[in-house]
Amino acid sequence: MKIRQLCVPAIVLAVLVLLSGMVWAQEEIKVGAVQPITGRFAFAGVNINAGLEDALMMANEDGGINGKKIKYIMEDGQYQLDVAIAAFKRIMTRDNPLVMYGESTGLGKAMSPDIKDRLKILYSSTSFSSELANPADNPFIFVPGPTYADMFGVLLKYIAKENPKAKVAFFYSDTEFGKDPIEAARVMTKKLGLELVAEEVAQVGAVDVTSQVLDLKRKNPDFVIFQGFVVAPITSVIKQCRDFGMKTQFMGTFWGASKMVLENLGPVAEGYLAVNPYMYWWNDDVPMIKKIKAYTAKTHPKVTYRDNSYMQGFMTGLIFIECMKRADKAGQLNGLGLVKALESLKDFDSGGLSAPFTNKDNKFPVARVWKANVEKQIFEPASDWMTVE
Amino acid sequence: MRCGDLKESYLEDEKIFQSLFVKICLGIFFVVLLIVPFVAGPYVLYIMNLIGFSIIAAVGLNLLTGFTGQISLGHAAFVGVGGYTTAILVTRLGFPFWVALPCAGFVSAGMGLIIGIPSLRVKGLYLCIATLAAQFILEFVFVHWESMTKGIRGINVPPPRIGSFEFNTEKSYYFITFILVILVVGFARNLVRTKWGRAFLAIRDRDLSAEIIGINLFRYKLAAFAISSFFAGIAGGLWVGFIKVVTPEHFPFSLSIQYLAMVIVGGMGSILGSIFGAIFMTLTPELLNMLVGSSKEMFPGLDQFFIPLKDIIFGGLIVGFLVFEPHGLAEIWHRIKTFFTLWPFSY
Repeated sequence: MKIRQLCVPAIVLAVLVLLSGMVWAQEEIKVGAVQPITGRFAFAGVNINAGLEDALMMANEDGGINGKKIKYIMEDGQYQLDVAIAAFKRIMTRDNPLVMYGESTGLGKAMSPDIKDRLKILYSSTSFSSELANPADNPFIFVPGPTYADMFGVLLKYIAKENPKAKVAFFYSDTEFGKDPIEAARVMTKKLGLELVAEEVAQVGAVDVTSQVLDLKRKNPDFVIFQGFVVAPITSVIKQCRDFGMKTQFMGTFWGASKMVLENLGPVAEGYLAVNPYMYWWNDDVPMIKKIKAYTAKTHPKVTYRDNSYMQGFMTGLIFIECMKRADKAGQLNGLGLVKALESLKDFDSGGLSAPFTNKDNKFPVARVWKANVEKQIFEPASDWMTVE
Repeated sequence: MRCGDLKESYLEDEKIFQSLFVKICLGIFFVVLLIVPFVAGPYVLYIMNLIGFSIIAAVGLNLLTGFTGQISLGHAAFVGVGGYTTAILVTRLGFPFWVALPCAGFVSAGMGLIIGIPSLRVKGLYLCIATLAAQFILEFVFVHWESMTKGIRGINVPPPRIGSFEFNTEKSYYFITFILVILVVGFARNLVRTKWGRAFLAIRDRDLSAEIIGINLFRYKLAAFAISSFFAGIAGGLWVGFIKVVTPEHFPFSLSIQYLAMVIVGGMGSILGSIFGAIFMTLTPELLNMLVGSSKEMFPGLDQFFIPLKDIIFGGLIVGFLVFEPHGLAEIWHRIKTFFTLWPFSY
């Protein structure tokens, strides 16, 4: 008898707890992410994850999406396609989020048909690949900045302004990431009246780059643009070219605009230029950077620096939040509503983290060129914000 | 409860289904497998499909490595050849998937024949390196034969279809995988108890003796390579039809190692072992992922620490298995089975 007496209140309590959980769950908007926390892209993945999470959590502190809280669900994809797809499907099945973030170009391409036809969720990723900014093929996927091809466009425009008859060379890796913008860059070089004198290909992390450097020496370009590397072999190429007494100016795209590259280059970074669509941690005059720093000091007191990949994750978070706010206001907080909101982004103010963002074909083709300051080991603006048409 | 079974001939000893009880168990197991897609979600079915592809590839590699004793470090490349053949035949020549898939098997088998030729001259570690070269050569071809493979961008493949029905969900695809796994496993299980299978075993145990007792090394070694690659090709074609895109990055060297690990962890020279190995190697990381996921809830902010930990646990598990059961999961299964054969009245 005693047990039965206890049972009834216990069941009532359990039901109440469950119900309250359900009510609570309705107030939540879920954002899922498959991040490369381990594996060879982990150096950036950890930062990107922190950036995205911080942006969403800061929005929660400011009242969430018109009062609704955001829940961030992250799983490790290890930068391996099968693992990443599994994590993606796990999150979709278990949590059914409205917005997803992916760890690689490959994941985006593999999930693209599903996202378009079945899942209908807003999707962005760590990738700046031009293939993922194609609203005709997939309106749900966007790139949170310029694509690699756009970054080349910004650099080439900068070169054309500095020296209209410059000789240019591309130095890229034999990977998808390396080759992504090359075709478009060739066309752009021609259009701008620049002369493309060499294209060198090396493996990521290559140790011996002598033959490429000798070829560069023979063709003597005024500018060399790196694409598709993280650190090696950029350092050895620049060092060897300097040893030959070449005056060439070296440039990099987004991953070459990280502080890590400067630290690795050391004194040879003199004159190194890179393109980056976001402001840096040390740009203290930017309101959003101030906010990020204050938030980091509060939540991660040990962290003293966040690299540009953090800013990429953060910016993606800001775009997600803005789209969700707009869709919610329109009473259409679903995939199609989010796409409409994404399309409507015009001169979106990110608190100075970048130039005002205007959606053009599901990307934001604006960036600026930065110049290395060897002494302070930072990048300083070398140009104003430039938009690629 | 069984208390032993009487066998009167060697033929009975070689039977796949030793008793009615086994047949019933297997029947129930198949029925469960057929019910699963109607109750499980897309994530579970995705994993089951992956396990299916892995089983096909691992059974293939086990025929070569476990049964014939020829270590191959290029299995992923053969899977890639199958994947690319399917993609190219379907997109360029408009072949239906059902025709392209066996073609992929045959093209892979042909490639396996070529790569297998050095096996007549080189053995052991040397063959390992020769097959490793195949892995890198084929990977290079996938990347650089752009007119055919579209390079690193890869090829988008439409899902298989019958009439107007498209197999574009995990659930519908599950049935294709299921049938092919049964066919492949059934074929392999039968192959190893034929003349060919015995020839493979003889070559593995001592190739010189095998040749002396009249086994044509040239023929059987190459046959092992061809059959193994055929299965790899089928696995590749299936994988491509499933995820609807193929790029060179799907078939890295690490995948070859993973297949080898499946064969070793599962049990070399055991078809059942390959199945266990494939399940173990696919499922364990996923389970660890879930474990890490739940630990995240309990210890927020510590995921940077927990996530890399799962790789260490996974590695530790593999080493543990090899130390405590060098004959692999198949042997553990065998022990469990024999324990229950006489249970509860064991000696």
